[in-house]
Amino acid sequence: MGHLYTAREKYTPEQLEEMKEKYLPTELICCTASREIEDGEVIFVGIGISDLAGAIAKLVHAPNALMVAEAGYIGFAGISTMFSPSDSWGGTMAMCHQGLPETFIDEQAGFIDVAYLGFAQMDKFGNVNVSYITGPKIRMNGSGGGGDISSSAGRIIYTVEFNPRSYVKKLDYMTEPGFLDGSPDARKKQNLVGGGPSCVVTNRGVFRFDTETHEMYLAEVFPWQDEEDIEEVKKAFPWSLKAAKELKIIEPPTERELWAMRLMDPDGMWTIAKIMDATLGKLILSGKYDIEGYNTLLEGREAAWRKAMEILT
Amino acid sequence: MKIEGLKTVNYEERLKEKGYKKRLNKVMTEKEAVATFLRDGDSFAIGGFIQWRQPQSIVREIIRQRKKKLSFIDESAFFGMDQLVGAEVLDRLDLAYWPIRQVGGIVGLPSVERCLKEGYPRPIDIGGVLKTPEDKIKSDKPPLKIVDWTNFEVSLRFMAGALNVPFIPCRSSLGTDIPKYNKEIKVIDDPYENKPLLLIPAYKPDVVFLSVQRADRRGNGQIWGFRGTEYWKARAAKHVVLLTEELVPAEKIYENAGMTVIPAYCTDAVVLLSYNCHPSGVYGCYIWDMLYDLRMVLACQTGDGFSRWLDEWVYGCKDHFEYCDKVGWEKLERLAKAEHVINRIPA
Repeated sequence: MGHLYTAREKYTPEQLEEMKEKYLPTELICCTASREIEDGEVIFVGIGISDLAGAIAKLVHAPNALMVAEAGYIGFAGISTMFSPSDSWGGTMAMCHQGLPETFIDEQAGFIDVAYLGFAQMDKFGNVNVSYITGPKIRMNGSGGGGDISSSAGRIIYTVEFNPRSYVKKLDYMTEPGFLDGSPDARKKQNLVGGGPSCVVTNRGVFRFDTETHEMYLAEVFPWQDEEDIEEVKKAFPWSLKAAKELKIIEPPTERELWAMRLMDPDGMWTIAKIMDATLGKLILSGKYDIEGYNTLLEGREAAWRKAMEILT
Repeated sequence: MKIEGLKTVNYEERLKEKGYKKRLNKVMTEKEAVATFLRDGDSFAIGGFIQWRQPQSIVREIIRQRKKKLSFIDESAFFGMDQLVGAEVLDRLDLAYWPIRQVGGIVGLPSVERCLKEGYPRPIDIGGVLKTPEDKIKSDKPPLKIVDWTNFEVSLRFMAGALNVPFIPCRSSLGTDIPKYNKEIKVIDDPYENKPLLLIPAYKPDVVFLSVQRADRRGNGQIWGFRGTEYWKARAAKHVVLLTEELVPAEKIYENAGMTVIPAYCTDAVVLLSYNCHPSGVYGCYIWDMLYDLRMVLACQTGDGFSRWLDEWVYGCKDHFEYCDKVGWEKLERLAKAEHVINRIPA
């Protein structure tokens, strides 16, 4: 893999060491995933990471992209990350307010170019489970709009923190269709509208799907991932994961991308992935449910909204 | 074929009960509306989507009136649904999503989880996929039946109900396990192109409770912000109860007639109730009370905690006004102030 070394040469070993510790997993995922968007595309966003990635793309390199939230908000500015696709800050400075089935109708009609989704379990061909784990019996979130989005959106970008347990030989339950059994026209045979999974963006590399075999393979890695790290990632898969002949090196998050991310998520609610470390969590832990607690929480949010609205107009 | 759990509307019966829809003044209290239209064994739905515009005061009133054996259907569930399960109001639940373990390891729907793991207060049966283990079931209560759909499929059920057709075809979930375990979904080869299609059965709930920002006495409901599935729910249901933040004269409706999602002929009752969605939010009125919601979820992590919460916030309040007193009007107004920073309804 001589290529890897050439690509990394622009960084000194010290720089690589420093970079490795510099970014949070969510920062790596959001910024990398945002680069998958081309200007002018219609993006179906969900909540948290997926919403952040879309907003970064729009702020940094795809100003004409349109974000769509399933409850019925179309082309919104994205003044703040969302907790649910119906959050009213998703409706602020939007082009259109419509209904939930209308949004899915638009998707089945082919208007959605790309969508971000997360997952709990994935198999070799990008099929996804978000419903049940049968080992220890656990009910998970369930399909929500994911089953519809993965069926009908142009292409799907999966964004998750890398977890070896997420990749399985056989799913406990298939909620969202990927390339099904992997045969060349499996999706077409099932009459599915959308193009299926495009990539899986994690904090330990980007995985793509072979155009012929539809099998997932490691395509891109971060500059600090050495041979050892790459082997470890590959070993996490219960099948022998293939890697691209020439692994692409991912540029680390840029200042502009990180700025966009902080603008959308000033409190780090999704970035730090621990609600208890954010203002909301601190209020809960201290039992501050009085009006002062509300003022603390809401004043922070209002200031962030005002700032974002000013920048976005 | 008879669809299990689906009550088809008897058209003659509907005509007889149409009296409510014909009235010119449909204003009544929340208590009256729940007592009049929702009977034990009925199916019902509410408006909104997850944390927004879901009339949660209705959930508390249904529990307060100790309704039983209800079927509930929704696209994506909210914390109030967990209360319905914990208070043993439901016999059947159809939905696509619930926010479980979403917030830093806290169980999103603690009552549902308790039913599934401990069979308390009753067991759960998710057809063919999961059910409460036999050895955990201590009571002889029939299990709560849960059926999985996707968001679009649930919406299409209301749409088919509104169109008065038995089903609607769609192209979601083909080749997945959803139609495999949900026996009410049919996969057919369509007669025109001979390709697979999913058939989604119609749903005509007995009652839907929809929250709107503005309505007049006759029942024209106007919505701002996202519209969810309100349009279809209002037309699919036998009875429609509107909960409105503001009751306005008809002239005010004419000014923005394009915002009327639910025309008067759909509506059976109008309930004027400010903050009826709390802790859920309403576009242009007040934001979602995340502090209250998270506090509630934390308090309900144990069975005892859940009972205490019900005693305090549901049974402990005579009606929605007592509930608002308890929450504190100052806090509610603070939530409204926050929403007005970003969204305002045209005066």
